[in-house]
Amino acid sequence: MTIAAETDPSPAFHTIRLSKVYGDGPTAVHALRDVDLDVAQGELIVLLGPSGSGKSTLLNILGGLDRASSGEVWFHQTALNAMRERALTDFRRRHIGFIFQFYNLIPSLTARENVDLVREIAEDPLSAEEALDLVGLAERMDHFPAQLSGGEQQRVAVARAIAKRPAVLLCDEPTGALDLKTGVRVLEALVEINKRYRSTTLIVTHNADVARLGERVIHFSDGRIRTIETNAVRAPPSELKW
Amino acid sequence: MVKLIARPLDRKLLRDVWRMRIHAAAVALVLGCGLSVYIMSVGMRASLERTRADYYADYRMMHLAASLVRAPDRVAADLERIPEVAAIETRISGYALLDVPQIVEPASARLISLPLGGRPRINDLAMVRGRWPDPAKADEAIVSEAFATALDIRIGANLAATIHGRRHVLTIVGIANSPEFVFVSAPGELFPQPERFGVVWMGRTALARAFDMSGAFNDAIFRLSPGADDQRVRSAIDEVLRAFGSSGAYGRDRMMSDRFLSEEIKQLTTMAIFLPAFFLVIAAFLVNIALGRVIATERSNIGLLKAFGYSDLAVAWHYAKSALMFGLIGASLGSIAGVVLGRAIADIYRDYYHFPALAFSAGLLTFAGAWAAAIVAVSIGAIFSVWRAVRLAPAEALAPPRPAVYSRSSGMLARFAARLDAKSRIILRRIQRFPRRAATTVIGIALAIALLVVAGAFPAVMTQLLSVHFSVANRQDVTLSFVAPREIGVMHAVAHLPGVISAEPFRADDVVLRHGRLEVREAVLGLPFNARLSRLIGSDGQAVEPPVAGIALARALAAKLHAGPGDEIEIEQVSGRRVQARIRVSAIVDPMVGSSAYMNIEDLGRLFREPGRISGAHLSLDPARYAAFNAQIKETPALAGASFLRQAERSMRRAFDEGVGVMNYLYIAFAAVMAGGVAFSAARVTMAEQERDLATLRVLGFTRGEASYVLVGELFVLALLAVPLGCVLGTVLGIWLMRLFQTDMYSFTFIFNPGGYAFAIAFTLACVAIASFIVRLGIDRLDMVGVLKARD
Repeated sequence: MTIAAETDPSPAFHTIRLSKVYGDGPTAVHALRDVDLDVAQGELIVLLGPSGSGKSTLLNILGGLDRASSGEVWFHQTALNAMRERALTDFRRRHIGFIFQFYNLIPSLTARENVDLVREIAEDPLSAEEALDLVGLAERMDHFPAQLSGGEQQRVAVARAIAKRPAVLLCDEPTGALDLKTGVRVLEALVEINKRYRSTTLIVTHNADVARLGERVIHFSDGRIRTIETNAVRAPPSELKW
Repeated sequence: MVKLIARPLDRKLLRDVWRMRIHAAAVALVLGCGLSVYIMSVGMRASLERTRADYYADYRMMHLAASLVRAPDRVAADLERIPEVAAIETRISGYALLDVPQIVEPASARLISLPLGGRPRINDLAMVRGRWPDPAKADEAIVSEAFATALDIRIGANLAATIHGRRHVLTIVGIANSPEFVFVSAPGELFPQPERFGVVWMGRTALARAFDMSGAFNDAIFRLSPGADDQRVRSAIDEVLRAFGSSGAYGRDRMMSDRFLSEEIKQLTTMAIFLPAFFLVIAAFLVNIALGRVIATERSNIGLLKAFGYSDLAVAWHYAKSALMFGLIGASLGSIAGVVLGRAIADIYRDYYHFPALAFSAGLLTFAGAWAAAIVAVSIGAIFSVWRAVRLAPAEALAPPRPAVYSRSSGMLARFAARLDAKSRIILRRIQRFPRRAATTVIGIALAIALLVVAGAFPAVMTQLLSVHFSVANRQDVTLSFVAPREIGVMHAVAHLPGVISAEPFRADDVVLRHGRLEVREAVLGLPFNARLSRLIGSDGQAVEPPVAGIALARALAAKLHAGPGDEIEIEQVSGRRVQARIRVSAIVDPMVGSSAYMNIEDLGRLFREPGRISGAHLSLDPARYAAFNAQIKETPALAGASFLRQAERSMRRAFDEGVGVMNYLYIAFAAVMAGGVAFSAARVTMAEQERDLATLRVLGFTRGEASYVLVGELFVLALLAVPLGCVLGTVLGIWLMRLFQTDMYSFTFIFNPGGYAFAIAFTLACVAIASFIVRLGIDRLDMVGVLKARD
């Protein structure tokens, strides 16, 4: 699957007039309004915007965690908006790696076991050792989350996300809870993985400096895409500041 | 009230309780069950005691009684002179066989004379219908209400009675109850058979003539002055009456009716303590589970409240109040249910005991006790969680909690964990990491299993008791008792009664048994060797032969005397020759019913210097000649009574069904509430705690089923751990309870009933399964993003 997605020349994601409305009537909240977007396979995109601008909603719909109210969303040749719950679960299982602000590791499993968790349901996964090595945590594999710092926990979350070699990595504020130094290490890991495995990577952030990392930067406000910039020169994570 | 809840914190409290409504409902239901039993038992006990006391006072119930062979009327004056005797009444009392057309078998009745001067000064009658007999009319009589009701005897009806070998026709002029016969059973029978045995009151002159007792009496009853020394009066009575064949004056403790009432009151006390205590413990557990969870989720709120300047005490009180609300809801529920239950039980008692009035009423103190118990239980349940809230420093509470610190297992557990998949490892590690919480759930479920095991044991014990007593020990169809002991030669005539297939003699003597300073008045039964009809039961529930030499004691009797095999005890006849002898205890036997002493019939005859005398016979009958047999014995004056085994079994079964049966359904229903409550609370809390992990699993691509495995798996592992614990706990409780419910009349032994255990386990696991299933639906509704983006 990862392989198939990699060899498929079509855009990884393609959305047409994608909208999301929470609630109805006068209290309805328009989280996304008519978003049209193409994301190429292997691209690293940064989604930027204030809270409530719709960037996380888009990420969740692309990752099959949420459904659009109207419009279409395609993953290569597959229409996600037509999928049932079970198929969406399967889609996440096969193609998507998620990383959240609050790590969401299983506290009762060691770093290695957290990674092993996804290996149980993936078809051609990396070994836990490889995945943790990639994020620089080979030494701390047998530690439980409580024994790791925030940055280390987030890197385990990254290792867990990439262990199944997903076609897509969706990162929602991955450095939101981290200081500069640890945040940089996490971003380095993400960039490295994007480079090595050509995983389509979308990073949601409200930190403007992180935008220098992406090939493209999509600015959100009020549920719409305002502008899309292309970075002629991408900054390495080590140069970022927040 | 409006003002009270208008404060924002109180509004929050109400919303918190609403959010915890499932937990609140579980706690309230469990508390309600326990407290309803408490209020019912304590209220019923008080109502029974009060009713008994009123009844005894209003109708001047005797304090002492003495039966004798015959004493001239002038002796009454000697008795009256005994200090501390407030009143005395002499009576003529005896038994009669009644020929009641409504039933095939003969009925029998206790006959009691009414005083010449009118109403009895002691043991007065509560007239239900009709009037007092006209002293001038010898045939007028009053019958007891239960008997009249069972046989539909109306005022004006005629009753044929064989009294002292002569046939009389009585006219019923009144129907009444007496404090002396609240509980009426025929001699030798344990349970009332109102259609076969009743009490008949007749004029003194008529009865004296029938029993050849003119100018004499054979029964004396006494009321004592307040504060009288019972023992001293008894000795004085015995001194006067010994010469007239008295078997000794006795108090209420040996009056069958009062003894039964006292046993009933004792059992209500047992019930008032045992079941409610059990439920209060469970309620405390549930509060602990629920509030523990609330305080964990309210961490930041606690920090905020403290940061705003609320004192530790104010914070503690805020959270304690929600537990108290649970308690108050439960106490209200329990109070209402207790009164409803009490009224229902009072109806049963009223029918059974024929009290002139028995209304259930629980006193204020009872309710106060119940409410206090509820508050104590929920407070104990809340205290640990509330303490945690108090200890939380505001800064610490406002910061996100550190993930729970787990550690790797060691030894065997580690090797076991290594072989598990990650999801199973999550289950194992959570249990290992939070042993106290896991233990709470395990104990809660185990208690539910235990209660069901106990509830399931009662019917099994009853069935066993009935089957041993009526199939192994007693296989006769009928037991005939003679008016007075007869020579063994009479067995020839007995064997020739119509339809008799086989006949076995027995001898019964009232005796006092002494061992050291301990003394018990009981019956000693003489049984033949190789008996096939009525047999002794050994410790394994199988028939055993009567002792070749010495005396065998029922286990309960041996315990009262502190005597065992090899000990020598003293035996004294209480009537007849009053032979005193020493005899060696040769065995302990386990009759399920009664607690007599046993000897072989020849030894017993020799011991009391009356070889070859018998008291009655056990018979097996040809069913085809049942009617002929009954017709014949109705005409046989030498018989004091005939006890039909199948009827005795029926009446015993009825008594069990009405008493134990009703309680048992209640037990099972309550155990179900408890199992359900524990399972739901545990499932809800596990779900709440695992929400984040479950959402993570779902986001990673695990299906609902796979994610459910972690939730349901944990509950089931805990439930499975609870199974052996619950079975052991249930067994121990069962054994203990059987001992508490033990009386002189039955010996309950706990029966290992695999079916009962299987039911207890299956039922509880089903509750856990249903609870898990319902809670699992929450996984379907899980807002994955919401949960994962939220700080814990």
